[in-house]
Amino acid sequence: MFRSGFRATAPLWLGVAPFGVAYAVLARGAGLSLLETQALSLLVFAGSSQVSAVGLFARGAGGLEIVFTTLLLNVRHVLYGLSLGRRVPLTRRERLAAAFFLTDEAYGVSVASGARTFSFVLGAEVSLYVTWNLATLAGALLGGVIPDPEKLGVDFVFPLAFLALLIPLLRRRVDVLVAVVAGVLAWVLARNTPGGLPIVIAGVVGSLLGAVLTHREGPA
Amino acid sequence: MSFWATCAGMVAVTFGSRLAGLTLHRELPPFWLRFLHFVPISVFAALVAPSLTGSRGEGGIRIVAAALAAFAAWWTRQLAVAIAVGMAAFWLLRVPF
Repeated sequence: MFRSGFRATAPLWLGVAPFGVAYAVLARGAGLSLLETQALSLLVFAGSSQVSAVGLFARGAGGLEIVFTTLLLNVRHVLYGLSLGRRVPLTRRERLAAAFFLTDEAYGVSVASGARTFSFVLGAEVSLYVTWNLATLAGALLGGVIPDPEKLGVDFVFPLAFLALLIPLLRRRVDVLVAVVAGVLAWVLARNTPGGLPIVIAGVVGSLLGAVLTHREGPA
Repeated sequence: MSFWATCAGMVAVTFGSRLAGLTLHRELPPFWLRFLHFVPISVFAALVAPSLTGSRGEGGIRIVAAALAAFAAWWTRQLAVAIAVGMAAFWLLRVPF
């Protein structure tokens, strides 16, 4: 099961690797040492917060500001944990491991593939952890010779992946309606709200809407 | 705050968020069970939509590529195929004619 989870997130390496390299190049440019650059990938393991953190370090921002931005970007994981915890039975120790390595992509792939075991989830998670950390190391060592992944357009892998994970979940009209409302709301919010907040707000509003609209049915 | 204190704070809020949801009590009332059914749907849609217009004025290309990827996802149910179709369309359309 670990192996099939590991393989299930492999298509995302194409997006994770250049992003990890780019993060490391930015971090080195912001004055972080090789050890510090790698430590964030090994210990925090959250791409978008690591990139914003090094951006803030470069501007001389305070530690509290960086930690608060990280919190804003990562509260969405509470939703993933709630959702995943209902699908996959976990012992206390497994829960710690599943939480440490949790990412949007691993959550998405686990839910979409109907994973019911800890080892599948862990495989999906570790697959991305290894790729992210190897890419960080490569970027930190290679420095500025790497082209910007956004210029190459590789960042587009992530929305494509989440779209491909979304499609099979749209079984009823109400599913489509909720997806459209959440998508439009996130799009509007993202224009003037920082970081992960649009995802949290659109995620909560969309889910509330769905729960209200289906109140005549049993649990889905 | 030193780098390492900041790093510890980042670990605490990230791991805390990740663990909080997994740890919360499992027995939920029906309303919240239905709520959770819609979490992946809303979150995936929210992760996709803002990236469709992009920051480089290539929104049209991104939307066409995403539509093709969505069709491939619906047709094949394969993540890798959908990504391959979407990226191929995206890169081809980006080439200036």
